[in-house]
Amino acid sequence: MIGVIARHEGLRLLRSAQTWIIAALLAGLFGFLFLKQLESFLDLQAQLAIQDHPVGLSGFMSIRYLEPLALVFTVIAPLFAMRSFSDEYRHQTFALWQSSPVSTAALVIGKFLGILTVLLLLVVMAVAILFIMKIFVNIDIKLLLSAALGLSLCTAASAACGLYFSALTRQSLIAIIASLAVLLFSWMLGSANFSNLPLQSLVDLSIANHLRGFFQGYVQVRDVAFFILVTGLFLGLGIIKLDSLRHTGN
Amino acid sequence: MPASAHATQGPQHRVLSAISLSRRLSANAEVSNISLEINRGDIVGLLGLNGAGKTTTLRMLSGVLAPDEGSVTIKGHSLSDSPIEARRQVGFLPDQPPLYNDMRVSEYLRLAGRIRGLKGNRLTERQDIVTEQCMLESVNRSLISTLSKGFRQRVGLAQALIHEPALLLLDEPSNGLDPQQLESMRNLIIETGKSAAVILSTHLLSEAQTTCNRVAIIHDGKLVADRPANGEDLEQIFHGATR
Repeated sequence: MIGVIARHEGLRLLRSAQTWIIAALLAGLFGFLFLKQLESFLDLQAQLAIQDHPVGLSGFMSIRYLEPLALVFTVIAPLFAMRSFSDEYRHQTFALWQSSPVSTAALVIGKFLGILTVLLLLVVMAVAILFIMKIFVNIDIKLLLSAALGLSLCTAASAACGLYFSALTRQSLIAIIASLAVLLFSWMLGSANFSNLPLQSLVDLSIANHLRGFFQGYVQVRDVAFFILVTGLFLGLGIIKLDSLRHTGN
Repeated sequence: MPASAHATQGPQHRVLSAISLSRRLSANAEVSNISLEINRGDIVGLLGLNGAGKTTTLRMLSGVLAPDEGSVTIKGHSLSDSPIEARRQVGFLPDQPPLYNDMRVSEYLRLAGRIRGLKGNRLTERQDIVTEQCMLESVNRSLISTLSKGFRQRVGLAQALIHEPALLLLDEPSNGLDPQQLESMRNLIIETGKSAAVILSTHLLSEAQTTCNRVAIIHDGKLVADRPANGEDLEQIFHGATR
């Protein structure tokens, strides 16, 4: 059943003009950023080579090209998820799911997987540009795979957040604003400097801090667990919200 | 409690058993203490004035809305304890058909079948049958957004019928239909009622009289009458019950 729902959600996104416009804009952005950073690397190559720990092309592109894209995907993912439930409420199609033999968990997970599949195609597009370089130069595959994993986990958490806020409201605009507020706040926590000890622990909730290791080639269990927990939390909250609709009737 | 018109039929034919359903919607609107027992072959017209509680009752029977009190059992499965099994037996057409405007009719019916557990040849077979039954052949490849109200209503009915539900719940199914479509909808409901139980809400007494073999009248959120549709003058019963 989850597969049926995921397929429906994925196809719904692919039928939407908005998806293709975003994909086209992203393709342009990926190309521009890639060429700009490649040019920077060629300019700085001589200086980088004399450092104690010289940074290779893969390391440079991972930090200068892929890491900024994490923020882009944090913004894009809720854009893809914002209409998931909001549109169902507004067009009164949600009754189809509510009266069908589909559990709320299957519905939420199915929709999430559908959205994530489309988003991961974009992540693959972003990362594939780097892998094409392998034809001409040696690249650090492990480092790039680690960066791709970080990008994917961050995208998944952002999509789950967008999906949850979509379940809260009939207005997709409100859903996107609320998700972006939460996600960008989490990004900003990474650069916050709290003097107070309890507040200092908030920094642990920063998406940016948990992503950094991936782009340097370190996959740490705590970072993977953070993104899985955030994703699970928002999906769980979404399930609770949708279940409550049978009782509130709104 | 009004007696069921088919109380003599055995429990093996029982499709729906709703006991003391109550639901408060706002300070002024509530449905209270509704009990219904529906058997296979029953076509029940749920009658009432606008705002009487017909839609709320149907939403509770379909599992869309949970009652504050009371229980619903469909083919022996409780909606609260085994909701998936219970909802597997239900086909529901809400007052606003749940249609995706960006899908084609055939795609939509396949989706409706799949989420009710149909697949492979069985899905194709059932899709073909409901397409024919609901006379959707001419619009099968059309986008739902381009359909007239009558066709949208028929696509909504087709999604409710695709899995051959034991209980068919229809909220104002005649909305937007022209007289010819109304006639074929009526025939389809009567045909479906031979192998399933049907509850349809309407405020048209003539529709209930020609389609249903039993009527349940709701007034101010309460079930005030439950009796066979034929025999007595329905208009007189209705006005008496809703006075």
